[in-house]
Amino acid sequence: MPISSGGGPQSPVFAGNTVPDRQRTGSGEPNEDSVGPSVCDTDWSILMARGQDGDAVSYLRLLNAITPYLRTLAAQRHRDPSDVEDAVQDVLLTVHSIRHTYDPMRPFGPWLVAIANRRLVDRLRRQGRTSARETPLTDEHENVPAPQANIEGLSDRYELNGAIDRLPVKQRQAIRLLKLKEMSLKEAALASGMTVASLKIATHRALKSLQKMLTDRSGT
Amino acid sequence: MIKTPDLIASLATNLAPVRRLRPPVARATYWLLLALAVLIILAVGLGVRSDLAQRLSEPMFALCMIASLLTGVLAAVAACLVSLPDRSRFWVLLPAPAFIAWAWIVGYQCLVRWISIGPNGIGFGDAARFCATVVLTSLPLSLAMLLMLRYAAPMRPTAVIFMGSLAVAAITATALALFLAINASIMILILNCGTAALFIGMGGAFGRALFRWVAPKTLRRGDETHPS
Repeated sequence: MPISSGGGPQSPVFAGNTVPDRQRTGSGEPNEDSVGPSVCDTDWSILMARGQDGDAVSYLRLLNAITPYLRTLAAQRHRDPSDVEDAVQDVLLTVHSIRHTYDPMRPFGPWLVAIANRRLVDRLRRQGRTSARETPLTDEHENVPAPQANIEGLSDRYELNGAIDRLPVKQRQAIRLLKLKEMSLKEAALASGMTVASLKIATHRALKSLQKMLTDRSGT
Repeated sequence: MIKTPDLIASLATNLAPVRRLRPPVARATYWLLLALAVLIILAVGLGVRSDLAQRLSEPMFALCMIASLLTGVLAAVAACLVSLPDRSRFWVLLPAPAFIAWAWIVGYQCLVRWISIGPNGIGFGDAARFCATVVLTSLPLSLAMLLMLRYAAPMRPTAVIFMGSLAVAAITATALALFLAINASIMILILNCGTAALFIGMGGAFGRALFRWVAPKTLRRGDETHPS
């Protein structure tokens, strides 16, 4: 008696314990995930029963065999290839987690398809909820990577530049080379002619002076 | 994101043998045996109601108890069945006839024999006994049901929670009818309908969170891997 998956009109139908080879590969074409032709001769339910007993080789063959089929099922519901792979992995993890619920006396196909459909539908629902709350980023939102477009930060930038200009020459040079141009200590030492130690001291003093100047200004 | 072949290799490499689930009816039987044990312990500890023999001779009371008990039994079986991926979701209808009969008998009892309050009223002792019976019956049964069906978290959580809650509610209502000498119609309504509504409501409110909490570890990791 054919047993449907109960997952919807597009769900494949399995007859008894035997799953046709075309259904196993999803498209009927050879696939690189298959371990070998012997897999096609072995029933998935037998492989799963062995997997339940701890036979890692059978389990690996089973997961490799069902993956293309799961990919086909996932591709019916997702367009983005990365979503398809995510969905396949989700189903594989679920199959692994609840593999003890499979009864080898019953056909494997409906069990697998029911899990796959459920996880795929859950995924779509989650995506629907997420997309309802999210807005795609446009150029108008890109004010952080482009400083000239970041109007809110302009006043702070002028203030900081003014404070740096009021620093003593050595401190100003140290800050510009090490913090604004992001040079290493060695590069800054070469560029300024100062020693590494004096650069460190100048930077430390400059930061303290800046902190004091900016704190005083914001306090007034 | 991990590649699918790597994931498969990792799952197969760390494969541990698992014990297959027993048939759903057998698991429901174990849960019902636990319920029986809880009822026996409560009967020994709290004692059954003083007028139990007399009430059991009344057909409507006996029918009400049978209907609530049958609802609990069938709901437990249905919960175990719908928790399996390859079983039909229509198994949720299994306890429906018994549940309808239970609701009908309770309604009928209240309609034809309305007693606003018992001869001795409702005292603090009744309330304490009521709470003790509800907690001591439902707590172990709910925990056992939750652990027994934790693998259903990624499949049909709502149906399983609903059936599990109904089973616990029906068994708790049976326990209340056995241990509490209540004749007031309003209390009978609270006892039956209130218990059912309470447990089904609590199942709906907290069931999914509890399921996520007890779900298999691999699956929880999987959910974190795929947060979208």
